[in-house]
Amino acid sequence: MAAPSSAYKDRQFLAVIGDEDSVTGLLLAGIGHVTAPPDNQKNFLVVDSKTDNAAIEEAFERFTTERKDIGILLINQHIAERIRHRVDSYTAAFPALLEIPSKDHPYDPEKDSVLRRVRRLFGE
Amino acid sequence: MEGLLYNVNNGYIEGIVRGYRNGLLTGNNYNNLTQCETIDDLKLQLGPAYGDFLASLPPNPSTSTLAAKTTEKLISEFRYLRANAVGSLAKFIDYLTYGYMIDNVALLITGTLHERDTRELLERCHPLGWFETMPVLCVATNIEELYNSVLIETPLAPYFKGSLSHQDLDELNIEIIRNTLYKNYLEDFHNFVNTDSDIAGTPTAEVMTEMLEFEADRRAINITLNSFGTDLTKEKRKKLYPSFGRLYPEGSYMLSRADDIEGVRLAVEGVNDYKNYFDQTGLGQGNGAGAGNMSGGAGGDSKSLEDIFLQREMEISKGAFTRQFTYSIVYAWVKLREQETRNITWIAECIAQNQKERINNYISVF
Amino acid sequence: MSGAGNREAVFPTRQSLGLMKLKLKGAQTGHDLLKRKSEALTKRFREITRRIDEAKRKMGRVMQIAAFSLAEVTYAVGGDIGYQVQESAKSARFRVRTKQENVSGVFLPAFESFTTEGNNDFGLTGLGKGGQQVQKCRETYARAVETLVELASLQTAFVILDEVIKVVNRRVNAIEHVIIPRTENTIKYINSELDELDREEFFRLKKVQNKKQRDTAAQDAEIIAKRKAGEQKENDRENETSGGGDILGDDEDADVIF
Repeated sequence: MAAPSSAYKDRQFLAVIGDEDSVTGLLLAGIGHVTAPPDNQKNFLVVDSKTDNAAIEEAFERFTTERKDIGILLINQHIAERIRHRVDSYTAAFPALLEIPSKDHPYDPEKDSVLRRVRRLFGE
Repeated sequence: MEGLLYNVNNGYIEGIVRGYRNGLLTGNNYNNLTQCETIDDLKLQLGPAYGDFLASLPPNPSTSTLAAKTTEKLISEFRYLRANAVGSLAKFIDYLTYGYMIDNVALLITGTLHERDTRELLERCHPLGWFETMPVLCVATNIEELYNSVLIETPLAPYFKGSLSHQDLDELNIEIIRNTLYKNYLEDFHNFVNTDSDIAGTPTAEVMTEMLEFEADRRAINITLNSFGTDLTKEKRKKLYPSFGRLYPEGSYMLSRADDIEGVRLAVEGVNDYKNYFDQTGLGQGNGAGAGNMSGGAGGDSKSLEDIFLQREMEISKGAFTRQFTYSIVYAWVKLREQETRNITWIAECIAQNQKERINNYISVF
Repeated sequence: MSGAGNREAVFPTRQSLGLMKLKLKGAQTGHDLLKRKSEALTKRFREITRRIDEAKRKMGRVMQIAAFSLAEVTYAVGGDIGYQVQESAKSARFRVRTKQENVSGVFLPAFESFTTEGNNDFGLTGLGKGGQQVQKCRETYARAVETLVELASLQTAFVILDEVIKVVNRRVNAIEHVIIPRTENTIKYINSELDELDREEFFRLKKVQNKKQRDTAAQDAEIIAKRKAGEQKENDRENETSGGGDILGDDEDADVIF
């Protein structure tokens, strides 16, 4: 049942969809990666109030299905909220999807898709 | 002598700036600010000082918008001063903006290098460093064009000329470019206050020399400390040190050869003030903590070196107001005001993130 | 139980009975094993969910500290470094690799973070001002990301285990509620069919036996009668000295029955 090892052995990057501060911090930690020219694909997306949901969804799609080198996708919880339907219907094991808090939006376990699944499983 | 004619041209500005200075937040105000429970409270407390500028903020604004609004006040006041200044004071105020311009140009260079749409960058630029021809720079699509337009369109041309070629923009790290420009800027500013016929020999020259020397030394020390563990070579590092200041030339030379914090400490030994700062931070006393001691905030008893430098800068700026008939109060006021914005942002950040134990890490000199 | 309907299509022979019995035994063993596996996985699963819960809370704290260290940077640098950082990102220093862990035959991938040496995109950030804070912030964030990676491992394990447990439970239930009852039914059916056959055979035998008994009894009676008649004749002969009875006369032999 477990995914064949080929499904994740190349996955060595983290990707992030977040607000400017979160992205800056995570990039400082050194997760930023830009693939070789000519396509210059970045593994991060900065979302501000002007970014529309379609762009977020597209990035989400790109990081989760198109790119095969991403092991973990980090997304700010308040941004996940904006594309909640996509996040909730995402069940694949790879890349792992992680909702992280942001500076202005403290973490709320009630909204987390995984934690909600946990709750449901234990019938709470 | 200068007292006789100073007020003819500059009396108004001086009066205004002194008025602005009295509007700066005092220790008492800060005390009130730190007692706030929410950003809204904070906004309320800032009401008397910032009034209209904060009025348009939504309830519970983010710290960054708060910072933007407080900066806005500084900008509008600064523009007012600039509009009313004449003669050498106008030039002096222009000089103040060059530092911010360097940051803006560095930003545009970064954007152009990565083939971003630089127009989007304009709004990220610091408004104090705004110059009329800046949008022109955005037309440039490659680095050579940009280089040429910078040379033609900006007051920064002398800083580029001679030390940076357009290939350098491509190859060098943006931080090195920025610091090279800043070094040239400081030297030019220093030269200006000491040679301009209106300024040389006046209290302005005296105070500004002290301030600029301090700034130069601070940069030299910081660059040295921050370059440890990076691929910046000693020769390149040496080129970033301004060629004046209390450390120059012996201290600078020793700094350029320093390999570790101990080396920096030895280099600054010649200047008593800086030696004291080092002793205060507990740096370079052979303790293993090293640069890790830079706790950023005065988390414990020992302050970080940068905090001490900031504190010192504020004291010098405060001191500038004790002199009369000098332009340097404008410079001092801008610095004080910037620090105030930083303090407010810091306090807001502490409140927003529930880190009250660090909230007193602001620097207040009044 | 839907009774006779739910059984396998086999001929009710002794051989298939043997087969069915083997099958039942196999199914029971399999059921036990799977049940145990499912329990082991569930135990693990519960542990993981508990750890996820903890880790998520921890993440909340860690990220807050990290965000705060970024605030310190903003304070020290006195400006926004976001754009510069975003543009100077080139190659990831912080990466993850995956390794496997075997839990009751399920391979759970776990992320492991590592930093590649010698590429430092932000070494010079804040060179003139705030460099120390930037370095410190990088360390803080690196630690935070490590926590995130840990959490991601747990979460992946959670997703995979969830899936596996579902499959295993489905199998357990299939065996428990479908295969075993059906096999039992089949066995019952075969048994009943065989019993039926047995009974029929028995009855038939009984019938045969009955008939045989009856016939034997009839024969016996005849023989006795004959014998009696013979005795009588003799007596008659002796007494009346009459001639022997007509053998082909009235005295017919009993039918021979085979």
